Amino acid sequence: MGNKNGKAYALTCLSPIRQGHIDGVAYCDEVRHRLQHWGLLEDSPMAKVPQTYLCRYFVLNDVYYESLAGPDIFSTMYEILSFFSDRFRTAALPREDHLKSKYLVFSCNLHGDLDTYLRGMWDAISEDIQRIWCFCYGFDKVKDADSFVAYMKKCQLDAALFFVGSNDDPLPEQLKALYLKQEFSHFAAEHQGLPPAELQRAYRAFMQRVQPLNLASPTWKPGQSSLPSLEERREQAA
Amino acid sequence: MSKQLDLLDIQGNVVRAYGRYNFPFARYVFLNIRDAKRGRAFVGAVTEEVTTGVRWDDGPNPIKKPPSTVNIGFAYQGLKELEVPRASLIGFPMEFVMGMKKRKDILGDDGPSAPQHWDPIWRDNRETDRHKDVHIWISINGQSHLDVQRRYEWLQQLVHHSAGGVAILTGHRGDNNTEHLPFQDVHAVFENGKPTSKEHFGYTDGIGDPVFEGLPGKPERVVGRGKQMRDGKWSPLATGEFILGHRDEADEYPTAPSPQLLSRNGTFMVYRKLHENVGSFNALLDRAGASFPGGRELLAAKFVGRWRDNGAPLVSAPDAKSKAEWDEKFAQANQAERDRMLSGFTYDDDMQGAKCPFSSHMRRINPRASLESTPGAFNTPGALANRRRVIRRGLPYGEVKDTTRDDGNHGIVIMMLNASIQRQFEFVQQQWINYGNDFNASNDKEIILGNHCPMQQSKAVIEADPDSDAPPFFLTNIPRLVETRGGDYFFIPSMTALRMIAQGIVDPT
Repeated sequence: MGNKNGKAYALTCLSPIRQGHIDGVAYCDEVRHRLQHWGLLEDSPMAKVPQTYLCRYFVLNDVYYESLAGPDIFSTMYEILSFFSDRFRTAALPREDHLKSKYLVFSCNLHGDLDTYLRGMWDAISEDIQRIWCFCYGFDKVKDADSFVAYMKKCQLDAALFFVGSNDDPLPEQLKALYLKQEFSHFAAEHQGLPPAELQRAYRAFMQRVQPLNLASPTWKPGQSSLPSLEERREQAA
Repeated sequence: MSKQLDLLDIQGNVVRAYGRYNFPFARYVFLNIRDAKRGRAFVGAVTEEVTTGVRWDDGPNPIKKPPSTVNIGFAYQGLKELEVPRASLIGFPMEFVMGMKKRKDILGDDGPSAPQHWDPIWRDNRETDRHKDVHIWISINGQSHLDVQRRYEWLQQLVHHSAGGVAILTGHRGDNNTEHLPFQDVHAVFENGKPTSKEHFGYTDGIGDPVFEGLPGKPERVVGRGKQMRDGKWSPLATGEFILGHRDEADEYPTAPSPQLLSRNGTFMVYRKLHENVGSFNALLDRAGASFPGGRELLAAKFVGRWRDNGAPLVSAPDAKSKAEWDEKFAQANQAERDRMLSGFTYDDDMQGAKCPFSSHMRRINPRASLESTPGAFNTPGALANRRRVIRRGLPYGEVKDTTRDDGNHGIVIMMLNASIQRQFEFVQQQWINYGNDFNASNDKEIILGNHCPMQQSKAVIEADPDSDAPPFFLTNIPRLVETRGGDYFFIPSMTALRMIAQGIVDPT
C-alpha cells in the first residue's frame, strides 16, 4: 500500500468546507484565519499529537488553471470530425477543471498505525480539531474518537510522498537521537585529548546526564527546530 | 574554433586581476548622482578612460599598458537616477534591486557584521537621506601610489566639471579612527619592499580564480580552474556563468535586463569590505594549535586548505614531510608547473576530508567534484559546484599594527563577479560558508568566513583518516574571525552599455 513506508505513514485528508458565512466571513476564510492563529513549531497544537513527524494544513480554494489539458483519443477523433460540424469542434476543446467545493487539506507524516494516530490526535487536541473542522461537511456527526477516525478515513486520499528528513522510527526515539547526537558532538569537542581514565569518568557523567535509554527526558521537544542557546543548555545541564 | 570574447567591450576588471599585473595599489570611490543629465555627462567622461579587457602591448595597433586603470559600476539606485528606462530596470534580478544590506539575513551579516556596525558610507546607504545613497562605484588601480593619486585627481576634476551633477561620498573608516574618508584605499601587503599576494592572516590569496570560455590566457591554466570532467580532464566553464549575454552551464542565457545591448558583456559585482580580527585569529591558533597533533602551522593550513607560506594545497601536501617534498619540487618548477601545483588538484583522493577539511575555506568556496559522493551520480562530476563559482578580485586594506588585537584598520576588500548574485555568491555564502549540510558537516560553518556566534559555541571538525587510529580534531569556540564592514551589489556594464547609459539612449522597446 502506497501510504506506508516501513512504519512511516503518509496521510492526506481533504475535508470539503460548507458554503456559508459567519458574520459575513466565508466559512473557508474563517478556517484559514483560525489556522493562521495557531502557534508554530513547538507551540503548534500538532506538537501535542503523538508520533507526528511533519504536518501541514491549508485551505484549497480551487485548482489553479495552468494550461489546457492535452487532447485524449476522443478529442483527436472529434478534431477530425470537426471538418464536418462545428458541434464536434466544440467537443474537441479541452475542458477546464474546477473543484466542487473548497477543501481543508491536512497532510501529515506519522509513525505507526493510522487508527492509533487519529485516536491519539483526538485525545490530545479535540477542541482544536473541532474549532477547525466544524465548518466541514459531515463533521457534525463527529462526537468522539471513533467517529473522528471514521470521518478522517472518509476524507482520506492515497498518498505516497514521504518527508525525507525522517526515518520510520517512533518520534520520541528520533527526537532523543537528535538530542544525543548534538550533545555527544559537544561532549567530544569539549573533552578531546583527555587521559583515558579522566575521559571515561567524564563519559560516565555524560551518560548519566543524557540518559540514552530514557526517551522522555532529557530530549528535544516535538516541533523544535533550532538549537538551544548556550544559556539554555547551561540551564538544562544544571 | 575556440570562443572569442569582445575584450574591447568587456571592462578590464572582469577578465583581469590587476593586482597580479603589477597594479598593487587601488582606490575605490563611490558617488551620489544629484542631477540625471549632468550625471550622464560625468559617466560619459569617465567611460572615455575606462580600462577594457584587451591585452596590452599586443598585436597590430597595440594598446599600451596604462600607469593606472579605471573601472565603473552602478548600484540599482544609480541606474534609476541616470534615468535608465523603467522597462529595463524591471529586468534586473531582485537581489540586485534590493541591495546587499537588505539581504543580510541570507548573507549572515548579523552580530558584529550587522549593517549598524558598517562604515558610515554603507550604514547610511539607502536609509533616509537620498543624498547619501551609493550610486556609482569607480575603481582605480595603479602601478604606484602616485599613479593612483594622479588618477584620483583626474576624477576629482570630472566631479568638479559636473557642476553638482555628482558628488563623491565620504564615510569610509581609515587609520586612527577616522570615519569620513572620501575613498577606500587598498594595497597589497608588502614584505621587504615587495608586494605579496598575502592577506592579514598570512594566507596567500587569489590563487584559484575560475577559467571560462573566451578568457584570454594560456590554455593549460584551465587545469584546476575550469570544470573537472568525467575523464579527469578540465574544461573551461561556460562564459555565461560570469558574463551576461552568453550561454551558461545550463545552456541558457543568464537573467538580464533588456535590451540585449544593455546587458551583454556586462556582469554583476558584489563589493564587500571585510575586517579581519587578527588578534582573535592568532589567539585561536595559539589555543588550538597547542593541542593539534600536527602543530600550529598545519592547523592554520587546515583552516584554509593551503599552507600559509606558499599556498601549497593540503591535498598535495597534507603533512610536514610531504610539504617539504612539495616545497623542493616547487622551488625547481617553472612558472607553468608552479601554477599547476597550486591549482591543478582534485579532492578525488580526499573524499573523507582527512587532508583538506570539509570546513576549510577552499573546500567550502569551491568543492570541485567532491560533492559527487556517489561516482557517476551527475552528468559532470562538478555539476553542483560549476554553477556556484565566482571570480574574486580585491586587495587588503590597512595595516596590522598589533597582532594581538582585533581593532584597528585592517582587512580585505573583496569583489566577486558573477552572472547571478543570488545563485552564485549568495548561495555560497548562505549554504556553504554559514551552513555545512552539503558537506555532511551539519551546521558547522566555514572556519575563516563563517558568522561564528559565541552563544552557539561554533565548532568545526578537522577530519582524520578513517583508516588510521587518529581521532578527528574538534576546533571549539571559534570566534568571529571576519566581520562585514559594508558593501553593495553593482552592475558592471559593457563599454557599449556605458556609452548608451551616458547618452541616455538605452531603449528596451
